[in-house]
Amino acid sequence: MKNTASKVTAIVMLAFVSFFLVFTIIGHKTNSSSYEQDSSEHITELSFETLIDGRFSDTLNTLITRNFPARNSWIAANSAFQAQFNESIVNGVYVDEKMLLNAEISLRPSSEKSAQEIKKFRSLYSGAMYFVAVPTSSGVYEEYLPKYLLSNPESRQINTFYNSLGADIRQIDAYNILKMLNENYIYYRNDTKWTSYGAYCVYRTVIQKLGFIPIAYDKYTIEHVTNEFRGTLYSKTLYSGVKPDMIDSYKFSSGAEIAECIGFDNNGQAQKQTICDKKRLDSGNKYDFYAGGELPLLKISTSVNNERKILVIKDSFGDCFLPFLVQHYSEIAVVSPENLECSLSELINTEDYEQMLFIFGIDSISDSSNFEKLNL
Amino acid sequence: MVYSSLLFIYGFFPLSIMIYYIFRRKFPNGVLLILSMIFCGIISVYFLMFMILYTAVNFAACNFIEKKRSSKSVSGIIFYSAVIFDIAAIFTFRTDFFSGFKELIYVPDGFFPIGISFFTLSAVGTLIDVYFGRLKAEKNIVKFGLYIMFFPRLLMGPVLRYSSFIKMLKNRRDGLNEIGIGFTVFVKGLAKKVIAADSLYMLYSAVHGIDIENMTALTAWIGITAYLLCLYFTLSGFSDMGIGIGYCFGFRFPQSFNYPLFSTKIRYFTTRWHIQIIQWFRRYITKPLSSRFNNKIIKKLIFIAVWGLFGFWYTFSINGVVWGAIIGSAVTIENHFSNEKILNITGIIYTFLAVVIASVFLSGSDLSYSLKYLLVMLGGNRAFADSLSFYFIKSYIVILLISVYAATSLFRNLMIRSGRTWIRNAVVIVSPAIVMAFMIICTIMISYSGSSEMILLRL
Repeated sequence: MKNTASKVTAIVMLAFVSFFLVFTIIGHKTNSSSYEQDSSEHITELSFETLIDGRFSDTLNTLITRNFPARNSWIAANSAFQAQFNESIVNGVYVDEKMLLNAEISLRPSSEKSAQEIKKFRSLYSGAMYFVAVPTSSGVYEEYLPKYLLSNPESRQINTFYNSLGADIRQIDAYNILKMLNENYIYYRNDTKWTSYGAYCVYRTVIQKLGFIPIAYDKYTIEHVTNEFRGTLYSKTLYSGVKPDMIDSYKFSSGAEIAECIGFDNNGQAQKQTICDKKRLDSGNKYDFYAGGELPLLKISTSVNNERKILVIKDSFGDCFLPFLVQHYSEIAVVSPENLECSLSELINTEDYEQMLFIFGIDSISDSSNFEKLNL
Repeated sequence: MVYSSLLFIYGFFPLSIMIYYIFRRKFPNGVLLILSMIFCGIISVYFLMFMILYTAVNFAACNFIEKKRSSKSVSGIIFYSAVIFDIAAIFTFRTDFFSGFKELIYVPDGFFPIGISFFTLSAVGTLIDVYFGRLKAEKNIVKFGLYIMFFPRLLMGPVLRYSSFIKMLKNRRDGLNEIGIGFTVFVKGLAKKVIAADSLYMLYSAVHGIDIENMTALTAWIGITAYLLCLYFTLSGFSDMGIGIGYCFGFRFPQSFNYPLFSTKIRYFTTRWHIQIIQWFRRYITKPLSSRFNNKIIKKLIFIAVWGLFGFWYTFSINGVVWGAIIGSAVTIENHFSNEKILNITGIIYTFLAVVIASVFLSGSDLSYSLKYLLVMLGGNRAFADSLSFYFIKSYIVILLISVYAATSLFRNLMIRSGRTWIRNAVVIVSPAIVMAFMIICTIMISYSGSSEMILLRL
């Protein structure tokens, strides 16, 4: 009987692994989640060097992993399994019943180098410079995380960064504003970023510092453009136990409007762009609704007649902040350093703008490459 | 490429079985060597070149020693040169002392010849056997090459004597039955690694990340127990995977671990933990050294020192030496009181405690950290437990209980004692389904990253 069982095991297991081998090779991959965009970084060309040093082996493993049949179902099952039998941390994401949180916040590199780059950039600019360092959901909802994950909490990371930045750059305390309001829907449940409402809460303080009176909340018409947004934390776990998120569009119907929105690529080529474009909700990443595109520079002209101009330098946290600025400035220039591959001076003269506002999540702040690009 | 990766499980493994069974009649050994070289080449071509050079040097040295046996000085020079070459290789890659030399030989960044600790012991043991005339030098490079780089035993052994390996090579019995047993053992090893060891590693690294000044005694005990269980399941998991793969090609490798953690005596622990490695140290170091002395105390000191050396083989640091010396000393002390009768449960408890305390040194990065950790375990921070300790217990209780059960021989004993009763038959009947279920669970758990590469100790 034992021999028969062994033979059955052999046939079943060989059939099982062969099935997945064949379908991994011939299967067609149609899904493109943000995880796959991340993992494309590990893809290297087949060359003598990559074969010698083993990088091609990593690539081969990545390719097989990415093309593995029904991979999303396997990952989702993993999250459910881990949440049941282990600590609820899946691929670096803490799975809480209410929301997903980045569990690796304490592992971020120091922001000292970023601060030095920003100070260098500051020394070449004569206008007023403001910085909003935005915590991620793990900073504002840190009480959900087990204590041992908070050896270097985001509040401390932001303080350290602000201390390194010096007094010449006006710092805006977004952390405490958001922390006070954390019973509201100010962060996505499936992503690390703030919601439009979170951005609005900080906007009220920021715009006063910039010299304007904020637009009252009840003046806006809020449209839920989608309630199916799943962000980067979801992509890492595919855990469906947390509700999908809403993306909101804030419109001030009796206020100023966008007259023109022009994007510029790294060669300075102009192309017409839009912000808050519903068409982009059909793309892989619904958050692209706010600004979208992968252009380094966006110039927004508004119907405001005050000749005030602002240069916003931002990461993705800045995207849902932009609509609020439209009511106050006649021109808003938006620079995304992650898409910048040329010298900033080739695209724009910073001295044309009397104010400069940095809006960055603490994740991007710890990556100095974002700021090195500004000094090229 | 490790055994616990999608690339291996759903790529190299089934393809290698297919290729082997196509060519096994014409080239029974050649096909295995080519598959092993492809395995090394997929890891990196530099690794393959290293393995070819390593095999060639040891093969040539064995043959030259035999050829020049009449001249003791010449064969001695060849023998010692080859042993120095092998030991220099392991020191080059397992320590940071030779970074300049590594640059000179264009070692790629992050390169580590995986399994070097095992194939070094194999190569040095063979050189010793040939030099002392206990073994005739192998004339067939294919067989010798297979001995060094046969992929099922490349990553975690087992370390076999050359003559034992050749016997297995000659007497191998392959077929569908063996593939079935192979898959069963492979999946058992995979489950140990992916389900138990990886989860326990999360617990261990969570505890390890806490500032030691703020750690409570209970948390420290939880952390070190997780480490010990994680180490056991990692080593025995990889070893089982290797044995399982070997089965598919007709090899019946001996198991490296025989449920050592819950032994009733420390002495039994030492005969069940990394069995072939301990045998290697006993055969090639303890016995030759002890035979030169009649003094019992010196013999005991040699025993403890060789255990220290075994610990050094694990970590290449003083911490490993302390681990080995503690275990060696514990066995010596236990032997001194061997006439005292004790209950099995008492033996299990003190053995486990001794092994856990020794593990503090194996896990620590340096001696002072390990001593501090030990102090915390004994209540040095004046805090027995806090909410975090109970959070860890609550979060990991299921995996801890499963792991402790799996680390005991209770299930095996149940199967042995059940004879031909319905329990045994029922387990045999459902075994294909169990193997499949565990394979699915393991695939689920590595589906995101594609592999489970945590090996705790780079051996």
